[in-house]
Amino acid sequence: MSEAFEIVAFGISAFIAIAGALGMATTMSMFRSGIFLMSSFIGVAGLFILLTADLIGLLQIMMYIGGFLVMILFMVMVMHDPGGAMMAGMDMAFVERWFSKGLVPREPPHSGHSDMHADHGQEQRAHDRQSHAMPQSNAGDHRGHSVHHDEHADDDDQSMQDMDDSGHEGHAAHHGNDKSGMDMGGMDMSMVTPVRPAAAWLAGAIGVVLVSMLLLRPTWRVVNAMPDPDSARRIGQLLMEKYMIAFEGAGFLILIGIFGAVLLARPTIYPDDASRRARVAVDKKPEPIAAEGLVPLAVPDKQAGQHEPHQSEEHGA
Amino acid sequence: MIVPLTAYLIVGAILFAIGVYTVIAQRAAVMILMGIEVLLNAIGLNIIAFWRFTAPTDYSAQIFAILIITIGAIEMAIGLALVMLLYRQRQTVEVDAYAELKR
Repeated sequence: MSEAFEIVAFGISAFIAIAGALGMATTMSMFRSGIFLMSSFIGVAGLFILLTADLIGLLQIMMYIGGFLVMILFMVMVMHDPGGAMMAGMDMAFVERWFSKGLVPREPPHSGHSDMHADHGQEQRAHDRQSHAMPQSNAGDHRGHSVHHDEHADDDDQSMQDMDDSGHEGHAAHHGNDKSGMDMGGMDMSMVTPVRPAAAWLAGAIGVVLVSMLLLRPTWRVVNAMPDPDSARRIGQLLMEKYMIAFEGAGFLILIGIFGAVLLARPTIYPDDASRRARVAVDKKPEPIAAEGLVPLAVPDKQAGQHEPHQSEEHGA
Repeated sequence: MIVPLTAYLIVGAILFAIGVYTVIAQRAAVMILMGIEVLLNAIGLNIIAFWRFTAPTDYSAQIFAILIITIGAIEMAIGLALVMLLYRQRQTVEVDAYAELKR
């Protein structure tokens, strides 16, 4: 391996790793953070391979890329705003702005409630922007906006489900956010906590301290031996001989982890509060029907007298 | 080995700092899991770099890295299961809504 190639490969891999992690930490779009994190993993895998730990590099790519595809899937399913289009107009630091470049703010940040049209198509989004440009729906004029919205819903397939909703409360219910009692207008839509500047300072301090300690420390005693190029075979032998207990323990840990994950995430009979209430209402035993006896007919003639014992039998039954 | 050990360690330190920032500053539980993954990555990078430069004939470090990757995978599985469970109950994944144990 020539030296120039090694330096260039290290530079590229380190840049990908650090820039990916930085982008993951700072972008406003969660989908983008997943992709950035994948690129960071690939950069770290490149560093592993550069350090002649080929097996670890390949394991890194195989485990984490697959795992983070699943995680991105989870984000798109679960997150409130995986695309980050709501946060794009917020005030951001320089790095955040750079990594969030190209996110189209769906709404200007002053119109609080209309942030809720998260699941409409592109067409609808363009329409929202149009209607904001119109003078009739100014900031805070939600009524005009929603009326406009319902007019538009005729030709949009995705907003068919919104037609029965009346205005923004319906949208909130559609997103399921009203269950936790959160008012979407007043809620802080940001992906990051308010302690973000403090966290940034703390992380910067940690980084500076670590790097300066590394730089000030005298260098480690470096052995100039070359590891076995077929290191995977050596690792396999070590795993099966010296570290067999650790290997088995890791396998057992995976087994227990799978059990735990299945146990935690299994579909319960009560998926949420509403269906729990419904289920409890169904499960409740029906109240016994109050036995109200038939009023005996006071009939004077004889025929009725013949039937009388029969009737009392029915009463008993 | 023209690239010194310190360069790899500095990359690991920067990754660690970014991971700490993510864990503290992010609000969604999934993003906090991502920050933990970055932290684990920094640790693995440090271990492999030390292995390569100080003890390249002893492969125990790579086994340690494999164990770290295993732990990371399990942590992600359990974390996602917890997030799904909490999401079913609270209809949100933001950790601010999970503060009930504090009271």
